[in-house]
Amino acid sequence: MTTTAPPSQTPWWQRYRPDQQWEAYLFLLPSFAGFLVFVAIPVGAALLLSFYDWNLLSPPEFVGLKNYTQLLAGDQVFRKVMGNTLYFTALIVPLQLAFGLLLALALNQPIRGVEFYRLIYFMPVVTTIVAAALVFQWFFNRDFGILSAWIWELGTLTGLPIQPPDWLNDSAWAKPAVVILTLWKNTGFTMVIYLAGLQNIPRELYDAAEVDGANRWQRFRYVTFPMVSPTTFFLLVIQMIGAFQLFSEAFVMTRGGPAQATLTIVYYIYQVAFDFSSRMGKASAIAWVLFVFIFLFTFIQTRLQRRWVHYEAGGE
Amino acid sequence: MTASRPTPTPPEHLPARTARGGIDSRRSLLLHLALILGSAAMLLPFAWMLSTSLKLPKEIFAYPPTWIPDPVVWQNYADTWRAIPFGRFYLNSLFVAVSVTVIQIVTASLGAFAFARLRFWGREPLFLAYLVTLMIPFQVTMIPNFIIVRYLGWYDTFLALILPTAFSAFAVFLLRQYFLGLPMDLDEAARMDGAGSFRIWWQIIMPLSGPVLAALTIFVFLGSWNDFLWPLVITASTEMRTIPVGLAAFQGQFKTDWNLLMAGSVIALLPVLLVYVLAQKRFVEGITLSGMGGR
Amino acid sequence: MSTHRVRRFTFLFLLAALVISACAAPPPPSTGTEASSAPAAAATEPAAAEGPVTITWAMWGSPAEVETHQRVADAFMESHPDIAVEIMSAPWSDYFTKIQTLWASGDSSVIPDVLFLWPTPRYAADGVLENLDPYIEAAGYDLSDYWPALLESAMLDGSVYGFPRDIGLEVLYYNKDIFDEVGVAYPTDDWTWDDLLTAAEQLTVVETNGRVSRYALGMEGGKFQRWVGQNGGSILDDMRNPSKCTLTEPAAVEALQFFADLMENNYAMRDANLSQAGGDAAVFQSGQVAMIIQNASRVGSFNAAEMNYDVSTLPIPAGGQRSASAGGAAWVMSSGSDNKDAAWTFLSWLQSTDGGQYLYTASGEIFPALQSTARSDAFLTADMPPANRQAFLTEGENAKVGAFGYFPEWGELSGSIIDPGLQSIWAGESSVTDAVASICEQVDAFLATNEYPK
Repeated sequence: MTTTAPPSQTPWWQRYRPDQQWEAYLFLLPSFAGFLVFVAIPVGAALLLSFYDWNLLSPPEFVGLKNYTQLLAGDQVFRKVMGNTLYFTALIVPLQLAFGLLLALALNQPIRGVEFYRLIYFMPVVTTIVAAALVFQWFFNRDFGILSAWIWELGTLTGLPIQPPDWLNDSAWAKPAVVILTLWKNTGFTMVIYLAGLQNIPRELYDAAEVDGANRWQRFRYVTFPMVSPTTFFLLVIQMIGAFQLFSEAFVMTRGGPAQATLTIVYYIYQVAFDFSSRMGKASAIAWVLFVFIFLFTFIQTRLQRRWVHYEAGGE
Repeated sequence: MTASRPTPTPPEHLPARTARGGIDSRRSLLLHLALILGSAAMLLPFAWMLSTSLKLPKEIFAYPPTWIPDPVVWQNYADTWRAIPFGRFYLNSLFVAVSVTVIQIVTASLGAFAFARLRFWGREPLFLAYLVTLMIPFQVTMIPNFIIVRYLGWYDTFLALILPTAFSAFAVFLLRQYFLGLPMDLDEAARMDGAGSFRIWWQIIMPLSGPVLAALTIFVFLGSWNDFLWPLVITASTEMRTIPVGLAAFQGQFKTDWNLLMAGSVIALLPVLLVYVLAQKRFVEGITLSGMGGR
Repeated sequence: MSTHRVRRFTFLFLLAALVISACAAPPPPSTGTEASSAPAAAATEPAAAEGPVTITWAMWGSPAEVETHQRVADAFMESHPDIAVEIMSAPWSDYFTKIQTLWASGDSSVIPDVLFLWPTPRYAADGVLENLDPYIEAAGYDLSDYWPALLESAMLDGSVYGFPRDIGLEVLYYNKDIFDEVGVAYPTDDWTWDDLLTAAEQLTVVETNGRVSRYALGMEGGKFQRWVGQNGGSILDDMRNPSKCTLTEPAAVEALQFFADLMENNYAMRDANLSQAGGDAAVFQSGQVAMIIQNASRVGSFNAAEMNYDVSTLPIPAGGQRSASAGGAAWVMSSGSDNKDAAWTFLSWLQSTDGGQYLYTASGEIFPALQSTARSDAFLTADMPPANRQAFLTEGENAKVGAFGYFPEWGELSGSIIDPGLQSIWAGESSVTDAVASICEQVDAFLATNEYPK
């Protein structure tokens, strides 16, 4: 339906424009210099470290691929945390995107009190995770927490044998509890990014669609959705990376428990690197395996994006 | 729908849509109902924080839970403020967060402009390299970073608190995505008029990017304000500490000072909320000027 | 995204080259901060030094604890005007991350001279700690004043690398009001597991809808070893140089079953629920549990809350033994310190009957590592509850090795295998026999991989 120009299909050698070459490097320089020193070099160093045995205290010792082979061959905890992390990613990413977009659509309308709503929905993002997780931890307590208190109360009022779940003590319920905390904490972030994206849609597109007799759903499907698709793509990638790297929520609220049910990959990396015997090499190796995963997912998404992401500037 | 390419006119210049702006009242009522319910769910934990911050330790975990503290212990706020050098931490956090935000917005928008609107050799692999670094958790790059900063002689200085966190691929990625969404005709028209890249960046792209820059400002400020592990590791003296490091101390080895921790968290929340409210004006402007996109 | 492999690889190669060149760069010129260069200068000029020698002293602590540390430092500086002590504190949760990062940088100028550390053997094994034997000998420092087996937690291969500040032994705290209300006699030194069970049955309150409004006992799952040790069981056959896991042996299984049953019958709060509800101190203060098993660190908050409580020794099984854990974080000296003599002076003062030990004990935060301090007026005659301070002394006299390993990999072994395995028992999701079978299988594999016994 949208008839805007298709993404540029020019091969790379034709896109090469000598007149912009040095200019572009100049534009990149400030960002790249900092990026190189404080981001790229440490990342590269982490890669090198994964081939070493290093307990942080004595000098590193080169061990080749040992960290990787041990990890992939026999580390049961690693397998468990991979599973947990995939579970979190699969739940958190779609829910976050859906809630965020819905909220942004609702709060992009000229309704009364819109500023107020936006403030409220953003407040969790602003709250420090430690305070938030501690509050949730207590909310979920079966005997003394506030959520449970209401459920017990409901049971008493109705006379039904209703009991609250034993949230954080039950490995089946602890994971959803972490998901709930994460959604509560981060949906406002998704909403704000979507709001910024929605601002960018020219009014005429809707007017034209309305002239064509498009209904509400069609206007969403053929105008809003493609026009915010670069935002969606951005959020998809960022949220996925974020979900794969879930750490603080589990670190504060469940300490990875019960019985490692909410232990995530990055939490495990942290444990291996600093909590236990400090195996920085092994921690780096886990980080790189995680990286391969995220990279593959991102790569698939960048491939798939050509089918659904719409760029005005004719990028890719 | 036979719409042509959207006009390159910046959304800000569009007339406000007032005639058809209203939503019929029944829908509006339902929407408000849903939003209020959602707000309540969002605010509940926060209300608990506030309530806890005003309680005596023995009331915090009482059952049935109480929402209105009895007695209301305002003293907790004074105690929190005294227990750690909060004023100093506040200034540190503010200085660091503002610096990081300014540096990041300027460098990232320049970089993103190159990635989105200029063509040059190495564009894709370079951008890929930026993306890739997002995928490596901080837990493993922290020590190399520490060694670099130590090498530069910045341990326990503001430089160490600011610069290493001022360059993130996240900001470049976000801005690039947004810049890609702006019509390319804008640049071409401007170049036709003899404008250089720098002028296009400053006079066309940046003014059109109000909403995303506002969003980015919030996130960068917020990220820096709440950053914990790096400031802890890279500072030694109390004078260099930031708020999250100060707050974390209330969680002790054997006991947590819940009321003081919550009081401190409430105090810490305020500047970020202020930044958000200020930045939010950008969205609101966008809405009233460009109509209700996305309905 | 362009798939031009050649260019991408060139780029990655360049990146790698940069990384390597950065890593291969020479170590930083000693640009030393003022804090580190000043003492270095002072140390090279012997007695004629104009100012005092400065040593840095690192520890974790809440704001209140840091206040105590500062008081201790001030008291020391008052009696030792030639040494200045600078405090570097970090929150408990990430103190070790911070300290290890400092060590990882390989730059001794950022590493504090005296640190609070746990577990000592792991760090000593890597040579970052100063062997204190020569100092002890030269100064004639009295090691026999420490509680039995306690000093061993700070030793490696027969040498002392640190002085434990306190001994983390647990006692049974009980809420007198609840005991009076229910009509249960207060715990005594003669209490057995059966007495505990009988009392627990009466103290627990379960409402008709199934909600437990009061548990008899709150005890962290991580303290399970006390039950095991009391019953004559152990975690590993040798906590210094293990060859196998012994949790599957009857004495250990019986003890774990005892703990599991306490939780299953709602007598004890489940481990995860206890921490969610704010931890044992919080539930004890709000009357949601009648007893907790914990170390001396809680006394201050209970006194501040004006609770009506006392303490007792832990109940033991009929025919069992007292089995307090002989361990505690230790003060250590960095082997990279530039002011070792000053550091030793401070260290030995910290661990002297009337020095640091006295101040910490009097602050009510610890049960001291030195018996003489524990029996002094700092601990015994303070006119504050708990009345039965003798309970701490009794437990201290019976402190034993056994709660943790004295080998470098212990942290990883317990953190990644033993604790998570046991958590499934505390959560009621796995039977004791199943859980220990699986734990021991993994522990034995771990020990084999790490080439134990050595």
